[in-house]
Amino acid sequence: MIEVKELGRTFGSTRAVDNISFSIAKGDIVGFLGPNGAGKTTTLRMITGYLPPTSGEVAIEGYRASENGKALRRLIGYLPESNPLYEEMRVREYLAFRAELKEVRRSRRKAEVGEVLEKCDIAEVSNKLIGNCSKGYRQRVGLADALLGSPPVLILDEPTVGLDPAQIVHTRQLIKNLSVDHTVILSTHILPEIEAICSRTLIIHKGRLLFDGSVEELGASLDAGQSLILSLDADAEAAKDLLLAVSGVESVTFLDERDGGPRFSVVPAEGEDARRAIFKACASSDIAILEMSPRRVSLEDAFISITTSDESEVVQ
Amino acid sequence: MRAVYAIAKKELRAYFLAPMAYVVIAAFLLLNGFLFSLITTALSRPGATSTRPMALFFGGTLFFWIFIIVVVPVITMKLGAEESKTGTMETLLTAPVSDVEVVLGKYAGAMGLYVAAWIPTLLYVWMLKGYSAVDMGPVWSGYLGVLLVGLFFTAVGLFVSFASRNQLVAAMEGFAILLLLLLVSLLSFFVSAPLWKGILEYLDLYSLVQTFARGAVDTRGIVYTLSGAGFFLALSYQALQARRLR
Repeated sequence: MIEVKELGRTFGSTRAVDNISFSIAKGDIVGFLGPNGAGKTTTLRMITGYLPPTSGEVAIEGYRASENGKALRRLIGYLPESNPLYEEMRVREYLAFRAELKEVRRSRRKAEVGEVLEKCDIAEVSNKLIGNCSKGYRQRVGLADALLGSPPVLILDEPTVGLDPAQIVHTRQLIKNLSVDHTVILSTHILPEIEAICSRTLIIHKGRLLFDGSVEELGASLDAGQSLILSLDADAEAAKDLLLAVSGVESVTFLDERDGGPRFSVVPAEGEDARRAIFKACASSDIAILEMSPRRVSLEDAFISITTSDESEVVQ
Repeated sequence: MRAVYAIAKKELRAYFLAPMAYVVIAAFLLLNGFLFSLITTALSRPGATSTRPMALFFGGTLFFWIFIIVVVPVITMKLGAEESKTGTMETLLTAPVSDVEVVLGKYAGAMGLYVAAWIPTLLYVWMLKGYSAVDMGPVWSGYLGVLLVGLFFTAVGLFVSFASRNQLVAAMEGFAILLLLLLVSLLSFFVSAPLWKGILEYLDLYSLVQTFARGAVDTRGIVYTLSGAGFFLALSYQALQARRLR
């Protein structure tokens, strides 16, 4: 549905986006992830046709911005990064104007504006001036605008910025529901967001695409190692000796003293699952296990390792 | 053309939602009212050379031109500059709207306010009618001249607003260009070479409006103002396109 081919953009002497290629199928929710200044917004602007690329091209359902920009823009609902709105207009009035621009038929306009007001949970501010709305409401007005005309592709640049936690959950759920009949591309620098919503993630850093795959693959791409967090009801020294004696345990590191017992990070030997052995060893020494949990490699770790590594090839 | 209508309507409404429209219209009417009373007072004196105040009112005084070259840039200054500054240009240009529609829509919106500022001056005509017979032909052609100048000048203002991010800068640039266009009228007094004199007389906006106000609808004037408007609209389109490249 969306084809991005060798897309590049230069501003003066800076290469903001460098040779990015990917394609997105209908119904995907793709998360565009990267630190600030990575080139996310530039890439999204090129996909919407707002910014012409210096090299490469974008096609959405075969339409290209350079040939048939208007037809391409008809397919897209776009929420720009800073979410610019006309402050002097009222929410409903603004959405009615946008619906008119987006070629929503006159007879449908009122109903459609009502629907997006409802969907984005902003019906109660519909008669307020946009300039007087809080950041959270403004953000949702921008989202409502993107939904007008029910475009097949939604491009949302940092959709949850400025929302409070409850609104974030609500908005994420909304975006997830939207993916039933929209293809969604969203950008964010918040990893849990990707985890919560997206089926696929693209990591971009310094203008280059470093990773393209599912969220699970992202975790797996990092050499995880199944380390455990363990807390025992015992003296720290004794507990450590006990753990080191368990077969299949490679190393034990003392972390801290918490909740009445020392906590350790336990790294099992390659390919071993030491959990049962640890349980048995503790039981035979009559030491209670207060906590035992696998230590997950967080997406943060994966992300940092990907963006700080110098390798430039795409991890598939 | 649906988008042109939508944008024009939105721009016009934006003028009236902000104090802008009221300030412009009030100041314009105050000054024009003052001018009108000056003209009628002068013409009521014994020995006055003319009996047609409206012919003097349209372009016959320096005031008329000063008002216009100040008011038009104030009307047009925000059209492009404000959207560039607040970033709403991005939402506007990513809607299924062509750049030509954006230019024409904003142009039509600004022209709407220009016309709205002139409409109350019809009262002057009505008042004159209470005191003496008024030949309406020259009055209407005078208004046509005012409209043509407005079409030309508004296009100039639109262009500088698209080329700038700052409203005040846009207003001052607009004022400067309009002033230059007017100064051309003066130049024809200083030039004697027939070729140059001919060209400058053709570009003389001062006499253009005066000709219309006397009741002569001059095709030369129509061609000049409309092609001027077309030229600056084309420049506006180019400025908008160049915005995308930054």
